[in-house]
Amino acid sequence: MKPAPFEYFAPRTVPEALALLQEHGDDAKILAGGQSLVPMMNFRLVRPKVLVDINHVEGLSYIRESDGRLLIGAMTRHRDVERSALVERLNGLLFNSVRYIGHGAIRARGTVGGSIVHADPTAELPLMLAALDGEVRVIGPAGARTIKWDEFFLTYFTTSIESSEICEEVVIPVLPRDASWGFEEFTHRQGDFAIVGVAAVVQVDAARRCTAARLAVAGVGPTPVRIQAAEQFLAGQSLTPPVLAEAASLVSGAVQPESDLHASGAFRRDLAGTMAVRALRGAVRRLEQQERS
Amino acid sequence: MTIVEEHVFPVGREELWAVLHDAQQMAKWIPGCERLEEIAPDRYAATLKVGVASIKGSYTGVVEILDKHFPDHYTLAVEGRATPGFVKGTAKLELSAMSDGRTKLVVNGDAQVGGLIASVGQRFLAGIARQMTQQLLKNIEKEVLEVAR
Repeated sequence: MKPAPFEYFAPRTVPEALALLQEHGDDAKILAGGQSLVPMMNFRLVRPKVLVDINHVEGLSYIRESDGRLLIGAMTRHRDVERSALVERLNGLLFNSVRYIGHGAIRARGTVGGSIVHADPTAELPLMLAALDGEVRVIGPAGARTIKWDEFFLTYFTTSIESSEICEEVVIPVLPRDASWGFEEFTHRQGDFAIVGVAAVVQVDAARRCTAARLAVAGVGPTPVRIQAAEQFLAGQSLTPPVLAEAASLVSGAVQPESDLHASGAFRRDLAGTMAVRALRGAVRRLEQQERS
Repeated sequence: MTIVEEHVFPVGREELWAVLHDAQQMAKWIPGCERLEEIAPDRYAATLKVGVASIKGSYTGVVEILDKHFPDHYTLAVEGRATPGFVKGTAKLELSAMSDGRTKLVVNGDAQVGGLIASVGQRFLAGIARQMTQQLLKNIEKEVLEVAR
């Protein structure tokens, strides 16, 4: 399969790329890693008249720490995150979730910014932004702005980034020292899009009582969601099996997923609870390991 | 794929019916409607631009009003074709008068989507169909309020 004809530009700088977007407006699409866009173009579901390839733009691929946050350049490949000692040390949840993205070949080419802007509601990185209170830095003709995750993801494949703007950087806070995490997803085959994915972050005091919890779920709606009812319930509790089970039932109770060929809404709802309890158990297990070592 | 959504409008049944049944106003509240031309009584040639993000198709086809029972209910049938596939659907619109003079509209939709868009977009069709139904209700509300003004 081959894409419909398009005009191709390969700018070298961000201002050049922005000028091309200004000039071509909605006719233009940005090509980052191309792991979603190119297949859709080959199916001819997407037919951009103009392709602005930002792979040659300098300075968009990096992983840095600043002020308790990980700054990841938009053109950083998933593979670079997966192999980053800095990410491993500062945010184990992000580090471990990246290997669930597609397959090795996809991660070698796919980019962090591309995945975030594509905004597939079951993808791992949008879920990470939700679970970790991440932000997206975008640059446009009027300058740069930073958008919180819950104001960034609007609905299926739709974000608040304007067609004249480029995603420059993804900002993910470092995990607090007292935090533990768990991540679970259910797929029909390895590397597929998740049916449901859950990320959990729990912070605990010396007595291992939960002081704060974050629970984010993907695959149950148009964007990843945080389950505040379960988060509030967990705060102040000892993370015992009955408490985790109650939190999971709050997760199931809070979501209303749709049905399709892959799974019924009721099954997805059930899965959200099951994945939540497993993610929380994973977080507890990690705490126990830390205490032993 | 079936979708049920409802909304209460601050007008009587007859007024709501008028908005639901007028070709000019239909063109405004059918999501993505770019053209609606009457080709026979209650039968229209239509162009609808629907989709999500950059996967949008311009569907050409027919919109029809069937099974009309003023002012209780009617069925809106839509059939369209575009490059990425086809859409065929019906929406039964039921109007019920509430004791406070307002009107509840229940949309009972049943849609079939086929072709490439259905195989590639499987994971999201139901969610997007629901959003379009909610958009339709919002559009109707906007029209109702405009007419009432």
